[in-house]
Amino acid sequence: MDKKTLACAALIACSFAAAAATDPDKALKAGNEYLITANYPDNLNVIDMQSDKIYKSCQLPAYYGPGTIQMSPDKKIAYILANHYADIYGIEVDSCKPVFHAALMEKTDAENDEYARSIFSMTVSRDGKEVYAIINPSLVLSNRYEVQQPRLQVYAADGGLKARPIRSFPAPRQLNIMQAADDGSIYVAGPNVYKVNVQTGKFDIAVPSRDWQRPNHAPPDVLYIWDQQTYRHDFFQLYSTARFKDDKQDLETADFIYGFFDIDLATGKTETVDFGPLTEIYFTGMRSPKDPNLLFTVLHRLVKHDIKAQKQLQAAPLDHTYYCVTLNKSGSKVYLSGTLNDIAVFDADKLTPITKITLPGGDMGATTTQAFIR
Amino acid sequence: MKHLKAINNKAQKLEQAAAEDRIEEVVAMSSVAGCSTTTDPGWEIDAFGGVASLCQPMEADLAGCADPCWWPAQLPDLMTTYPRWYKNGGDSAKDWRELGSVFPDDK
Repeated sequence: MDKKTLACAALIACSFAAAAATDPDKALKAGNEYLITANYPDNLNVIDMQSDKIYKSCQLPAYYGPGTIQMSPDKKIAYILANHYADIYGIEVDSCKPVFHAALMEKTDAENDEYARSIFSMTVSRDGKEVYAIINPSLVLSNRYEVQQPRLQVYAADGGLKARPIRSFPAPRQLNIMQAADDGSIYVAGPNVYKVNVQTGKFDIAVPSRDWQRPNHAPPDVLYIWDQQTYRHDFFQLYSTARFKDDKQDLETADFIYGFFDIDLATGKTETVDFGPLTEIYFTGMRSPKDPNLLFTVLHRLVKHDIKAQKQLQAAPLDHTYYCVTLNKSGSKVYLSGTLNDIAVFDADKLTPITKITLPGGDMGATTTQAFIR
Repeated sequence: MKHLKAINNKAQKLEQAAAEDRIEEVVAMSSVAGCSTTTDPGWEIDAFGGVASLCQPMEADLAGCADPCWWPAQLPDLMTTYPRWYKNGGDSAKDWRELGSVFPDDK
């Protein structure tokens, strides 16, 4: 085969691979494990975690951002916060077709438009029948804006492409990621982590964060906008804080430490655990499905921690920053996503790189990557 | 707040509102009027007071920070005013030259 024929064959093979990767009607296979993530300009990507290749890419019916994804319990519908935080779409991943759409912005009347955005705050109930979002509305009046009370919006998952809330309740300000629990409630993170009754709209503090009363600890600093559905079925957030030597609370002698809040979504059991010194920044962490004492964190490095020993076990350098760490179900592989348009795959035991998956299109930004088994 | 000092107009208004027990009246409004009304300061320095822990390269952090108005002083307001800033595909590592200044006509 001459060079020209080889080049043509390679081009045909590449074209075929690209077409297969983006085939919208390619159904997912029962029992297979997939990773789902989104990126600019409007892609929802499904990756086969057996081969670590792109399985398919769906085109979103909206502009991107922020790409917070929540999978329905049957793993057939990916709900995604899109159009710059203004719309929720439910995409049937087998067909790439939108089956749900809720515009968070409600038009109240001709004079008073209500603008609203959800800041990473969206999930689906454990029975798959309801979709929840916290929206932050403002009225646009002819001469001024009026900030309104945030609301918990409850949508019927079968509400179609013009879904309207079936229930709505006032909510505290500054809420973000949320997860649904087995008992029908949802947990929502914000100034504290709240347990919310979605029938009555009652917010109770499940894990005190801003209001924690830990002796000789500074209030925790939490930046956690990755709303991951884990194999451990927990709701996880990192925090950092200062632990003072005594009640003089001298910052000069304090230990700066990392910890996590973790809620078991099956039992409601909560944990607030310090796991090590604050020597670098992590944006996300995930406990291993194989051994929950192992914690993987990422931003500039991928780091493996022994939680009980409060010790870093291993660290791997990265060729660029990644936001979002995800593990496969067996706990053998670590996937780093977010930021640019490549996903780095690492061996969880050795913490050595296995491969990279380059997505079609642009940046992932702050997308939430989910691993699941169909 | 005892370790913080108000140095700009917005912070002084917040301080004044707190002193007059009107703190509930001061609320963020980024979702309507754009990033200039957020209280996010952006990442001029990292959490340790240096620059070594800022995202590397900065393009890796661009979409994740510009989308939610995290860099209000440095980047266009993608959430409300210039949502199509990434209109050329959004691969900022490759296409960073296309992510330029914005002007009123770009809205």
